[in-house]
Amino acid sequence: MLNVTIDGKKVEAKDGTTILRTCQENHIPIPTLCFHKDLMPFGACRLCVVEVKVNGKWQLTTSCDAALKNKMEVRTNSEKVKESRKLAAELLYYKYPSTKAVRDAAKSLGVEVAEGEPKGNDCILCGLCTRTCHEIVGVDALKFVDRGLGRNLAEPRIEYIADACIGCGSCAYVCPTGFVKMESSGDRRVIWDKSFKMVACETCGRYFAPEDQLKWISKKTGVPMSELLVCTSCK
Amino acid sequence: MSAVSFSSWNGKIIDNRNGKPAKALGPGVPTMLGDKSFTALMGWNGMVVSDAAANIPSLALGYLREARKLSCGECSVCSIGIDRLIGLIDGLIAGRGKKQDISEIERIARGVMELSKCNFGRASAVTPVYDAVRHYRDDFLALTAGRKGTTRPYRVAVTAPCIEACPARLDIPGYIELIRNNKFGESLDLIRKRCILPGVIGRACTHPCEEACVRNGIDKTLAIRLLKRAAADNDLASGGSALKKPAAERPEKVAIVGAGPAGLAAAYHLRRMGYQVTIFEALPKGGGMAAVGIPDYRLPKGVLEHEVELIRNLGADIQYNRKVTKLDMDELTAQGFKAIFLGVGAHEGTKMGCKGEDAGYEGFVDGAVFLRELALGRPVEPTGKVVIVGGGNVAMDCARSCARLGFKDVEILYRRTRKEMPARAEEVDEALEEGVKIRYLVAPVSVLADGNRVKGLECIRMKLGEPDSSGRRRPVPVKGSEFKVKADLVIAAIGQKPDLGFARDVIQVTGWGTIEVNPETLRTNLEGVFAGGDCVTGPATLIEALDAGNRVARSIDAYLQGRTLEPEVSFKGIDVKAQRAEGFIGACPQEPVNLLDPKERVKSFAEVEGPFSNAAAMKEANRCLRCYRLVVWE
Repeated sequence: MLNVTIDGKKVEAKDGTTILRTCQENHIPIPTLCFHKDLMPFGACRLCVVEVKVNGKWQLTTSCDAALKNKMEVRTNSEKVKESRKLAAELLYYKYPSTKAVRDAAKSLGVEVAEGEPKGNDCILCGLCTRTCHEIVGVDALKFVDRGLGRNLAEPRIEYIADACIGCGSCAYVCPTGFVKMESSGDRRVIWDKSFKMVACETCGRYFAPEDQLKWISKKTGVPMSELLVCTSCK
Repeated sequence: MSAVSFSSWNGKIIDNRNGKPAKALGPGVPTMLGDKSFTALMGWNGMVVSDAAANIPSLALGYLREARKLSCGECSVCSIGIDRLIGLIDGLIAGRGKKQDISEIERIARGVMELSKCNFGRASAVTPVYDAVRHYRDDFLALTAGRKGTTRPYRVAVTAPCIEACPARLDIPGYIELIRNNKFGESLDLIRKRCILPGVIGRACTHPCEEACVRNGIDKTLAIRLLKRAAADNDLASGGSALKKPAAERPEKVAIVGAGPAGLAAAYHLRRMGYQVTIFEALPKGGGMAAVGIPDYRLPKGVLEHEVELIRNLGADIQYNRKVTKLDMDELTAQGFKAIFLGVGAHEGTKMGCKGEDAGYEGFVDGAVFLRELALGRPVEPTGKVVIVGGGNVAMDCARSCARLGFKDVEILYRRTRKEMPARAEEVDEALEEGVKIRYLVAPVSVLADGNRVKGLECIRMKLGEPDSSGRRRPVPVKGSEFKVKADLVIAAIGQKPDLGFARDVIQVTGWGTIEVNPETLRTNLEGVFAGGDCVTGPATLIEALDAGNRVARSIDAYLQGRTLEPEVSFKGIDVKAQRAEGFIGACPQEPVNLLDPKERVKSFAEVEGPFSNAAAMKEANRCLRCYRLVVWE
């Protein structure tokens, strides 16, 4: 058990937790765009920044990936924190001015947001899809394209590896901006422009999962395909 | 030096622009880059201006354009912040800017330094631009008066504390990042550009990069060596990819003497350039000291053999069991060789300087010879007690091999203390775990024998005196402290030197008994003959030999094409580790690997250290702080 101080209040927290999780458990609001409770923290959006006292000095850190230490002192609402969150939001809004999730976050953090109906669905590189695909699904069909020394890529982006994708749709589900598109009609599902054949439930006849996904589950779990052909509602 | 008019390096402001007597620069401020002077320089740690005519806004824009290429784009503040700053400064130079843009540049730059995820964003991305708008505000203000600015060409260099520490200057943050993003294949391609034995180096490197890792100041270094191994192992597990063939063949033939790391690296790069390469190797296998100097429990031979085979498959003609006994230039020229690289290593043991070591006693052997015989499969009979003299990695390798061969008693004698020991700390720890005994402050005086058979050593106790030229305290014998140590086998492992008998009288040699070369071009006194690796440096590390091979390939190419060799930008004299405004970085433990249980280890030569799984490698790679250091100058 850890004893910490958040915004001047004494708070108890579990060992091995992060600042963000502890704040959430204590109903202290922290803005985020790239955090998901079931995924490893990534620290991409920088909106969850707080201050911690290190050797008597307040220092900024993102709360999602900062481990909580016993007797740690944390500030979540100082002027410095507010100003920093606003700058992070402002930069996101500068790059993605028409993406709703960004506009909402920016507005709530005090950034002046131009009126008008947002229409954009930009990828904001939050990494939720890549982490979901790696950590939860385990097929690694989505990867960041590396930039850096000698690589000279114009824009950072996420690459889609069609051969590895099983069409499960988890990335579309977790995407905060609607950038990842998934459309289903009849026995086809189209995701990231790849078309998947859907399997109909043997009981109710509803198309419930892509064939590639069922094959993947069968391979992973050792359960034969023939036992996977009934949807969850009919099981 | 005195020409510097302004410096904000390391956050310390030196401003000599006001006409007052010039203030001296602190240590570590770059005034030159290698042999190149500059009018102004911007880097991760500040800016240095030596000429009032420097165009600061132009250089700031150039700096940001280069920073943009290095920013990974995975945290919004750094990459978008750089874009925003480029927009603002570009606007100012184009004459579209407003006064308030300057305070906006300062505010955003400060935010990027405070809020970025990694050390690239915190230090390299915008730091000198922040300094520029604060200390050269007038230069920016002048651009808001309706007059357009100009831009000038600039030069760029990039390093990192780990890259700078690596003898072969591998792009370490680069290949770690590729692993983090689950691109093991691309990571291996990047490693191979400067390290053609990744599986070998991933196991047996002395990893000076890890000593330089910025994470040491926070928790523990990145496991850089093991990440390299992960990239190599991942490739081998999927069958092993072939090396890329040259785009076009060239007719020129190059001879390489010695298929050690230097020779193999040279062969690889020369083949990639299309040259026809023949390697003459005295031993029946390739790898040099990696093959006959590093035991299997540290480097399973299959890993090395695979990597040598890849170079052979690339078209390098490796002729085994072909010892070059005489460097006959006429003969080599007659065979059509246009250039020759000598990478013969340092395989001959150095003398201990004690009585009886040249008597040819049975049971007295040199460390390098002992390991070589073992590696070539000659049987060694465990005979009771073995004593190894020396404190380097060869001594540890001999001792740990003996423990595995079944010697009941394995003891190392070293003339200084553990602190001065040149062997890797983990090697010493693992040896001790395996039951090897180490006696410190002891030196041999004479080899004792019963007839022609060794029965022990007469030794003398030592104490530490004043530091010698290596900085280590010199051992001094304690008078009258002689004593005897019983031994059935004595291994002298106190160092090696090159055997240059084959080139005697033709090649110029140093006072150390190594080949004399031009340090830049690696050319010897003989036309068309180059040398590198242990035969030039004396016994050194595998990665230093690889570096020599990498460099000599470029030098030979320049020689054969009649070009001058363009040197790499050197960061010598600049403290690449120093970084102002580090901010808060939370501790994150290193991913563990399994080591074989010491009781199991001594039963065989099975590999001691376990690998990272791919998932563990990705997690470990995530700890990298990406401390790329950018420098731009005009």
